[in-house]
Amino acid sequence: MKKMMAMLMCMTMFASMLAGCGSSNQPAAADSAATDNAAAETEAETEDTTEASAEAVDKSADPADYKVVMVVKQSDSWFDDMVTGVEQLQKDTGLNVSVQVPETGDAASQIAIMEDLIAQGVDAICVVPNDPEALVPTIEKAREAGIVVVTHEAPGTADKVDLDVEAFINEEFGQLFGKSLAEAMGGKGKYAGFVGGLTMETHMAWYKAAVEYIEANYPDMECVTEEPYEDGNSVEGAHDKTLEILKAYPDINGFFDCSAQGGGICEALLEKDKATTIPVVSLALPSMSSTYLKDGSMAHGLAWRPADAGYATCYAAYLLASGQGVETGTDLKITGYESVNVENNIAYGFAPLEFTAENVDDYNF
Amino acid sequence: MKIKKVDQFQKILLLIIIIYSILVSIKNPAFLHFETIFDIIRTSSTTMIVAIGLLVVMISGGIDVSFMAIALFGSYTTINVMIALGIDNLGIAFLFSGMIGIGLGLINALLINWLKLPPFIITLGTQNLYHGVMTTFISDKSFGAGVLPECLHEFGQGTIFKIVTEDGAVGLTISLVPVLLIGIATWLILYKTMIGRGIVAIGNDEESARRAGFNPFKIRLFVYAYSGFLAGIMGIIYVAQINALYPNKLVGNELMVVAAVVIGGTKITGGQGKIFGTILGVTIIYLLNSTLILIGLSSSWNNLFVGAILVVSVAITSYQERIKNRSHLIFTE
Repeated sequence: MKKMMAMLMCMTMFASMLAGCGSSNQPAAADSAATDNAAAETEAETEDTTEASAEAVDKSADPADYKVVMVVKQSDSWFDDMVTGVEQLQKDTGLNVSVQVPETGDAASQIAIMEDLIAQGVDAICVVPNDPEALVPTIEKAREAGIVVVTHEAPGTADKVDLDVEAFINEEFGQLFGKSLAEAMGGKGKYAGFVGGLTMETHMAWYKAAVEYIEANYPDMECVTEEPYEDGNSVEGAHDKTLEILKAYPDINGFFDCSAQGGGICEALLEKDKATTIPVVSLALPSMSSTYLKDGSMAHGLAWRPADAGYATCYAAYLLASGQGVETGTDLKITGYESVNVENNIAYGFAPLEFTAENVDDYNF
Repeated sequence: MKIKKVDQFQKILLLIIIIYSILVSIKNPAFLHFETIFDIIRTSSTTMIVAIGLLVVMISGGIDVSFMAIALFGSYTTINVMIALGIDNLGIAFLFSGMIGIGLGLINALLINWLKLPPFIITLGTQNLYHGVMTTFISDKSFGAGVLPECLHEFGQGTIFKIVTEDGAVGLTISLVPVLLIGIATWLILYKTMIGRGIVAIGNDEESARRAGFNPFKIRLFVYAYSGFLAGIMGIIYVAQINALYPNKLVGNELMVVAAVVIGGTKITGGQGKIFGTILGVTIIYLLNSTLILIGLSSSWNNLFVGAILVVSVAITSYQERIKNRSHLIFTE
């Protein structure tokens, strides 16, 4: 009986461990609690201004009166750069804008932060959703509370938010993946593609567009699987799966990664001395992949500037919150977004970046 | 008698590995290659190290779920300082990260002894605490391959030997060396020193151990410091292997290591556990994880396999215990 009890205890332990993991976003919540007071003050101010806005739009357009909070996916160099863009926006316009970084890259921690922001009564929430569908109920709750919600990288749920801001039309960016990979592979051979996770909408859109582009234009190229591989947004995930793919498909000739973990693929290829023969095209940050571009293990890096995207997204949120609106031709005040194209509630910029060994040093993010 | 029984359990684990390997080979002959073993050794090396640390803690009747946070804290802080000061020395990296690990492990032990709370609760708390302190007070920036000390990348890509064929290179990772050293050192500590005997003794019954002359507090200090030290070492190897430094990796993977140690036949109530069993447990998890693409299954199958094997192995351990008790005329039910 004692042993049975021990077994039971062991099971409960695992259960409580799982429960424990869920609470890891508490420090982030505590962080934002610290800003509660500040938020309460601005809230009082903005209530006045929104009442006044019906009569005098000009007066309420002062950016300092608006509290905009950006919720990014997780802490990594991509979103670190986005934070610098948001800080730049604050300097340029005086907009009361800040960034919340979830500790883990999942929807649950983003929901917790958003709930917190709704309770604070901010003017606008910008979010880069980890899983757009999972965030919809929280987004609806925020909008019912009168908060403007602007997403980035979530065109599929654009009808549920006030606006979705995209750096480019996803299909065109995906075709760029296909084109770069096909050119690097010389237009023939087998290839495999990665996404961060199968639920990641933009990754999937690029993946599909890339594969379709290659199918249509390069009949000698063959994708080894129907579904993309998942690297789980981790370098070791990309690394370990690449080793396995190399075994399962020894004749593979190219990889592309729609998640910014191409470095993991390159590491695996370097280990196997195949870095120069198998090209890799990946979503990339110059700071994280310049080594691979220069040693030739990565053929092309594709990206858009996260700082600019963060800047444009938060500025659009301000324009909406202050009642100025965003429509085709609106200037979001940053390169690539000078004249956005609004279609179905999505504001498209035109800001793809392509890195090679030659130009990667021109960018410092 | 007892040793023979444990060996039987390890035979079962070996049997699982062999049968599974045969099944995979039938489905995809590409599995039958030296490369497979070398790849598994490389990808599992970091987990092996922390699993051995956790094994020691679990034999002493405790548990540690903060080791991943310690590994991250140790490696992230050390490498951050190395980048800032321009130090490029692997020995210093291991030394500093290991020292930080010992420090954080000692905090765990002191808290457990002082508050008299279950180690699980304490280390769950310190896991969040350490990670929080790191991201709040040290830094939460990521660093790419270019800025990391060169020695790390050399170590991460290093091999004991490398055979270059026309299909690419096959090499045995140099990370195997620290794993072996740690395995041997842990074996010596557990079986050849008084501390090792004390660890097993307090794991079986703390009061009896105390009356036999062991000091549970000192043993606990050693056990958690050792686990912290191994975590610190593992952190550096991990960063060297992925060749990038992130402030949010590792933490959250503790459960998989606990599962591996339990699959290896370690009793969660303490007093029993084998290094070889733990190695087999980690191997099983990585074997399952790294063959799904070869047999064409999605990654959710991995959870299913690991869960099933975990339940079966815990059931077998408990069944063997019952048989043993009966043969000694101990009836606990």
